[in-house]
Amino acid sequence: MKKLHHNILKLLVTLCCFATAGQTANAQSDSVPATKIIRMHYYNVNNSMQYILLESQLKKEKTFTPQANKTYNLYLDSAANLVAMLKTDKDGKAKAFIPPTLKAAWEGSSQHTFIVKEGDEELVSDYVITKSKIDIDTANEDGARVINVSVMKMDNNEWKPAAGVELKVGFERLGGILSAGDEETYTTDSTGTVKVTVTKDSLPGNEKGIITIAARADDNETFGNLLAEKNISWGLPTEINTHFFDQRALWTTRFRTPIWLLAMAYSIVIGVWGTLIYLIFQVIKIRKLGRT
Amino acid sequence: MENITTLTSEQITKDLMPQQFGRNGKIWVAILVLICLIGAYAYYLQLKDGLIVTNMRDYVSWGIYISNFVFFVAISLVGSLITAVFRLANVEWSTPLTRIAEIIAVSAITFASLIIIVDMGRPERLLNLFAYGRIQSPIMWDVIVITTYLFISILLLYIPLLPDLKIMGEQDTKGPKWLKKFYRFLGSFWKGNPAQEKISNKSITILCILIIPVAFCIHTVTSWLFATTYRPGWDSTNFGAYFISGAFLVGAGAVVTAMFVVRKMYSLEKYITEEHFDKMGKIVVLLALLYLYFNVNEYLVPAFKMKKAEEGHLDELFTGQFAPLFWFAILVGMVIPILVLVTKKGRKPLPMFITGIMVVVGAWFKRYLIVTPTLLHPFLPMTNVPENFKHYFPSWEEWAIALGSLSGALLIITFFVRIFPIIPIQETITQQNEKATS
Repeated sequence: MKKLHHNILKLLVTLCCFATAGQTANAQSDSVPATKIIRMHYYNVNNSMQYILLESQLKKEKTFTPQANKTYNLYLDSAANLVAMLKTDKDGKAKAFIPPTLKAAWEGSSQHTFIVKEGDEELVSDYVITKSKIDIDTANEDGARVINVSVMKMDNNEWKPAAGVELKVGFERLGGILSAGDEETYTTDSTGTVKVTVTKDSLPGNEKGIITIAARADDNETFGNLLAEKNISWGLPTEINTHFFDQRALWTTRFRTPIWLLAMAYSIVIGVWGTLIYLIFQVIKIRKLGRT
Repeated sequence: MENITTLTSEQITKDLMPQQFGRNGKIWVAILVLICLIGAYAYYLQLKDGLIVTNMRDYVSWGIYISNFVFFVAISLVGSLITAVFRLANVEWSTPLTRIAEIIAVSAITFASLIIIVDMGRPERLLNLFAYGRIQSPIMWDVIVITTYLFISILLLYIPLLPDLKIMGEQDTKGPKWLKKFYRFLGSFWKGNPAQEKISNKSITILCILIIPVAFCIHTVTSWLFATTYRPGWDSTNFGAYFISGAFLVGAGAVVTAMFVVRKMYSLEKYITEEHFDKMGKIVVLLALLYLYFNVNEYLVPAFKMKKAEEGHLDELFTGQFAPLFWFAILVGMVIPILVLVTKKGRKPLPMFITGIMVVVGAWFKRYLIVTPTLLHPFLPMTNVPENFKHYFPSWEEWAIALGSLSGALLIITFFVRIFPIIPIQETITQQNEKATS
């Protein structure tokens, strides 16, 4: 009996230890502070549309949680130039275009710093972008199609070649870029250009054979995200098969009912309702016979 | 009807004239009106708040409204069986049953049309069917064929009624004046002269020929609403014949039930005899065996193959949550009626009445089992949906509307019996005279 009591006591002590250890672990996990993460992405599309995409997340241990409905102020270079008041969506993202009111400030410098504040707290102050542009040119060299892409950067109010910029050069396909040559990406040389010889020469285009050439730099440290597009008739013309929708079928609109179905349906309806109308006339006849 | 050959025409007319409601009749009407009013209130709530008041959701989008619709369409087919098929086959004993069958057909098909509008949720959109309807759609075929069947059934009810309307108009009874005027409006022109008789007989024969293919169409098309949809339980080439055989069975069950009630209430034992019950009993056995045969085809073949997609659906029916209802419908709706009615004693009026009710109740639940379990077993698994999407049990509004529609159909039959002779007077007299002279 004494031994039994001793064993029960040991069991209770062990359970208490486990419970205490578990609670301590939970408490430690709860005590890890969450960190606000603000990510900035600058976009320049076809050298004419510039915008900033802000991503707000909360990092706790290894988990990133999007911060929805958070409000931030975005400034250009200083607190005097408000770009926009941003409110994040359910994915924790918000977008802002450079407004016309800041045209003078935008054009006045080669480099710009974007500042993000939440209330009075400055969350980002070191996101610096150098203004740049990207151009696409095409040529035919000894029967081969060539794409020349040049990247220029603004330096002391002058456009100068931007060397060492990694680019994807190819054709827009299904939301991505299919490389035009053999390499996946290309890097600009000292003249700021890349030359890509097109190896994919039988891609389907639209009905006129037009396809879109695209050159894109993704998350470049100096220039951000750059994209240039150019339409060209290098593709194979695609014949759009409208016959599929023109045909008479069971699944089409009522105006394209199959003839056989129309004939069957109407002959039955006319046959049956014709007989019924005849019978109504017979009732009328019975009525007249009774009145005369 | 051998025992009525001694009755005079006056006696037959007196016996078969419609009678005022007694105490039981008034209570019966009051109960039906009350259920209809509750149904109307539930429908008002549905119109006000939308179909959300029902428990139909994304998966079960056809609930007891559509089950009720299929039931009504099925029961309406009896008009073509008793009236048309028997008349064309010169089955003389069916004369007292023709009008019972025809009024059941008219009331059922009327409420089949109404319950479809209830199921639409937005009744005003019914007009879109006519404005933008596609003849390729089986739903459009159903609209056309139901309208046609309703029209034929009304004509088949009305034309044989003409001689009786004349008799009723001439009778010096105590009934209300408006009723006399109503009879005269409907049939005062009937003189019963040979020319009228000839046209009437010819019209009835044409209607009898016409109603049979239309009746087959109406229920075949209803079955195609399901069979043209690729789903476990509905993907069957057997469905048209399966539905029609079931429709004849439930219709015959309804006629048997109505025969008993009318006979009892109006003391019509001389006209609806035990022989009628005996013959109708044999017909019910035949139809139940036929429907059972199609059921075996419908369930045994897929169960033998047990394709993955069908498995869940069949398991639910045979051993799952729908098993009690499924075996109830099979046993009560088919097997027990066969076992009872196959004996001579079972074909006496009272057992016939009870089995008639069993057939009708079993048939209603059978329609529920055709519609709902299939919708709960889509080919793709139900994921990321609220829990109540995965089950279905009708809300009180659905029950109230469904029961209201059933009561409405019974009210039409009840008022018809009150206003018109439920057994054709003139035809009975003519038949008796023919027998007396032969």
